[in-house]
Amino acid sequence: MAKLILLCLKFIILSSAVEAVFEDQVGKFDWRQEYVGKVRFSHFDTHVQSSKKVLLATENNVFAALNTRTGELFWRHVDKTGPEGNIDALLQHGQDVVLVVGNGRLLRSWEINVGGLNWEIVLDSGSFQSACLVGQQDNVKHVAVLKKTVISFHYLSNGHQKWIENLPESETVDYQSVYSDGNGEVYALGIVPHSHIAIVAYSVEDGEIIKQVTMIHSSSIKYSLGLEVAPGFHPVLVSTQPNPGRQPLSEFFLQLGPDYYQLLQLNNGQIVTLRDFKPYLFSSLQASSLNLFSAETGRRLLDTTLIFNMDPYGGKPEKLHVQAFLKKDDSVGYRVMVQTEDHTLTFIQQPGRVMWTREEALSDVVTMEMVDLPLTGTQAELEGEFGKKADGLMSMVLKRLSSQLILLQAWIAHLWKLFYDARKPRSQVKNEVTIENLSRDEFNLQKMMVMVTASGKLFGIDSKTGSILWRHYLDNIPSNAAFKLMVQRTTAHFPHPPQCTLLIKDKDTGLATLHVFNPIFGKKSHVSPPALPQPILQSLMLPLMDQDYAKVLLLVDDQYKVSAFPSTKNVLQQLQEMASSIFFYLVDSTQGRLSGYRLRTDLSTELIWEVVIPAEVQKIVSVKGKRPNEHVHSQGRVMGDRSVLYKYLNPNLLAVVTESTDLHQERSFVGILLIDGVTGRIIHEAVQRKARGPVHVVHSENWVVYEYWSTKSRRNEFSVIELYEGMELYNSTVFSSLDRPHAPQVLQQSYIFPSYISTLEATLTEKGITSRHLLIGLPSGGILSLPKMFLDPRRPEIVSEQSREENLIPYAPELLIRTEWFINYNQTVSRVRGIYTAPSGLESTCLVVAYGLDIYQTRVYPSKQFDVLKDDYDYMLISSVLFALFFATMISKRLAEVKLLNRAWR
Amino acid sequence: MHLTALLWVCMQAALVVAWCFTDMETGPGAGVSTQPNGDRFKIEGRAIVPGIKTQDWVSTARILVEGEEYVGFVRTDGSFAVNDVPSGSYVVEVVTPNYRFEPVRVDITSKGKMRARLVNYIKTSEVIRQPYPLQIRASGPHTYFMKRETWGWTDFLMNPMVMMMVLPLLIIVLLPKVVNTNDPEMRKEMEQSMNMLNPNPELPDVSELMTKLFSGSKGSSKAGGSSKGTRPAVKRR
Repeated sequence: MAKLILLCLKFIILSSAVEAVFEDQVGKFDWRQEYVGKVRFSHFDTHVQSSKKVLLATENNVFAALNTRTGELFWRHVDKTGPEGNIDALLQHGQDVVLVVGNGRLLRSWEINVGGLNWEIVLDSGSFQSACLVGQQDNVKHVAVLKKTVISFHYLSNGHQKWIENLPESETVDYQSVYSDGNGEVYALGIVPHSHIAIVAYSVEDGEIIKQVTMIHSSSIKYSLGLEVAPGFHPVLVSTQPNPGRQPLSEFFLQLGPDYYQLLQLNNGQIVTLRDFKPYLFSSLQASSLNLFSAETGRRLLDTTLIFNMDPYGGKPEKLHVQAFLKKDDSVGYRVMVQTEDHTLTFIQQPGRVMWTREEALSDVVTMEMVDLPLTGTQAELEGEFGKKADGLMSMVLKRLSSQLILLQAWIAHLWKLFYDARKPRSQVKNEVTIENLSRDEFNLQKMMVMVTASGKLFGIDSKTGSILWRHYLDNIPSNAAFKLMVQRTTAHFPHPPQCTLLIKDKDTGLATLHVFNPIFGKKSHVSPPALPQPILQSLMLPLMDQDYAKVLLLVDDQYKVSAFPSTKNVLQQLQEMASSIFFYLVDSTQGRLSGYRLRTDLSTELIWEVVIPAEVQKIVSVKGKRPNEHVHSQGRVMGDRSVLYKYLNPNLLAVVTESTDLHQERSFVGILLIDGVTGRIIHEAVQRKARGPVHVVHSENWVVYEYWSTKSRRNEFSVIELYEGMELYNSTVFSSLDRPHAPQVLQQSYIFPSYISTLEATLTEKGITSRHLLIGLPSGGILSLPKMFLDPRRPEIVSEQSREENLIPYAPELLIRTEWFINYNQTVSRVRGIYTAPSGLESTCLVVAYGLDIYQTRVYPSKQFDVLKDDYDYMLISSVLFALFFATMISKRLAEVKLLNRAWR
Repeated sequence: MHLTALLWVCMQAALVVAWCFTDMETGPGAGVSTQPNGDRFKIEGRAIVPGIKTQDWVSTARILVEGEEYVGFVRTDGSFAVNDVPSGSYVVEVVTPNYRFEPVRVDITSKGKMRARLVNYIKTSEVIRQPYPLQIRASGPHTYFMKRETWGWTDFLMNPMVMMMVLPLLIIVLLPKVVNTNDPEMRKEMEQSMNMLNPNPELPDVSELMTKLFSGSKGSSKAGGSSKGTRPAVKRR
């Protein structure tokens, strides 16, 4: 009994030792940025004069309301990804917004003040064409939805269908738009290519066809206007209808070329050209000036020119969202939201003042790296003292003294700045981070986050505050590009600037380009990357460095030829020397082939092993190696009987995950292969029957953790594989894949996980002393920090003295999700796609960035903060105790003296 | 490995329960991907956060069915419906950043018959019925934060280490003052009680040792120098 209690106690202690966030730490070192994605539809809420909302529907299937004053989100609704959550149309009336979702599958109405759903109905299948609000005498009560073959009519208040009608001759007529001008009729407009236009008018009341008009092409061209259409361009007509209950404006735009517009007016059956907009966009935008034109006359309105500066590293403007309003003196004022190619939204007010910008490209981060910030001059000086060789005692002392002096000087300057700032009112004190004053902090906790987004825009973000320090838009990025970001030179090699290389590969053709840049300033490097005429199969960073301390990047093309970057003489020479020990692998998932190659001295390659996984049965889903910057502190684990179980730490180990092609729930399986990347030797193979993907894998140290869906029990399961050498180490000094005769011992255990997961990553620290945690991104937006201790195949079913000695938790089939373990408390990260972990200068601290639709940055302490004083350290208590003791000794000394004196007198 | 063994036991145990809902066999799991044009159903229910107005939380709430496989939103009155769900067995969760809701498993037969039951990942076929349409009540706000260990005088005093140090000190200092040790009757009484407490006279008595030690040191300190005072105590040991 006592043992049991002890065990329970231990368990409680263990589980409470897991770190959690304290309430006063909120926002102290973490931040979150919320995004919506590339805007597809936007609508300024104007039904209330004082409304500050702009409603956005985006390509990422997000519907959100933004504050136009600050650019912050009021609320946001994230639908499922893919075509089923796609927003096809956005219509606003009053405080209701109607969305057509999923190619006309769903019709939703939202209440925009609260951000709640009014109703949602399912429409009949059929591909969506158009939707409009239908009103009568300024009273909008219905919404009409046009599909390929049917038109349906719904009440705006509850979504109920009023009527549904099949469209006549829908096989031949391509119905494209629906329209109503508030006279009790709804028109469906369709065309028969190269023949005629068909218009069907329905009665609003019962859906009866009132009339049917066909317009023959030749007869429709009544008024020829001598317009010239740009060659190869399909003209587009843009008209506006401010109120669905009334006639639309008689003025309309005709787009005749990629950037050639004409404003026309329909006046009693006559079309009049009002104005030509040659190189302009909608309301005219040239370079960075913006003018407002009167639609009625085509004249430019006075005092409406707006000039703003475009970001030189941004994209070209793509779309304008204008909010015009009448000022108090009846003149026209307007605000404009400019959308550029790089998905940036800039909100500008007259006269050219930028209210806010939102970098919506960050909603789609593909890959990222964290780069150390450079040292300041003083820091570099101090570091230099340790690096150099000793040259005499005297000079060393002098150097020491001078560096101390520098430190003192810096400290006094800092104090002075504090004092100076304290006198100023708080609002004036600027604590902005700029590239110029960026420097590494004491514990290297502040880093530069280099983020690559799918749109091809690169960002440099300060990890402490989340402010964007630089941005760089790469145009002509293919739409289906794959990115790989590599740090070639860190900031440690002053005066050489740090260098990052981004490999951009077109997934279809395999052709790749390199973008070399400085990760701190975002500037393109003067180093010219090699042209890559051949498709690239694989890229790998070698630990080799050239004379400028840049790591060597090897690129393997489809002829299995290897090219190096940088490819100086020095590098080539080193490569020749090292060639026999450079191995790499290639994965061909379509043919299920995994092959290992070795580099020859002439930079050609030779195939040394090949593993074929029959592609008809199973397909390779992912191949994971270990992270190159990972350190393992302890070689083994101390067992209960004081012997040591040595870990199998093979740096060349690859975890290959396969999924069966047969998806039937009885026959599907998930396989995992552990292959040595140098020799091709299969170390271990495990198959999980009645399981299917998506499989998430983490491979680190001597363990592989993977998660899959068990079709039999309909739940998610975690499985952990750990590899051990055994009780003695074969060659403890160096690990060689070619000389390991003994196969490792493999332990495996599985657990139930009570939730789906979106992504999986492990924490990483400087020296690997700190215990590891798994960071699990959940669909609910939480990021769970689960101690690796719970995923340990040595967890015993029956508790013994030895297992207790080892602090092993008894096996329990279900892993728990405790909300205290959520590192992001209520700052949920929607659709988390990746978690990036980086070590900091403190062994206890790991920096974490979770990205998806949102970006969240924080620090985690898997073994608590054992190397620094906690931030709740009670300075008051310790100082008061010290002072109290000091005074107590003083007083007692005095008392003792008095007593002695008294005794002497006696 | 352990899991499968355990599962097997559970399966056998729950076999009887499992078969009472026969239609379930036809639908679940893989049916999702194989029949996109099959019948689609609607999961309905209501989420309630007691004591909180719905408009304060619905804008952050989502209904997740099988992770993010199907997504629904909460209406302004707290009710919800997830459309377009094929037959199968699903875990339905109400997700808000601030309130905790228990997930519910919903089974939909190929004919569209629905039932809701408690989620049990270990005994997967156990059926504990829940109301359908779903009534999901929040069980309170999420507890994300650990309590800071605050410091107070009582904590300090109630610390067992401090208690162990302070109490004997009090006894040593106060007892000689309260009890007049010079009184011979009292001394006899004390000795008697000591003997009662210590049934085995051969064992060295700790309290006796301590009193002797302290009285000894007291006596010697009068003579001067505490270093001398400790010596008799050591000898006696």
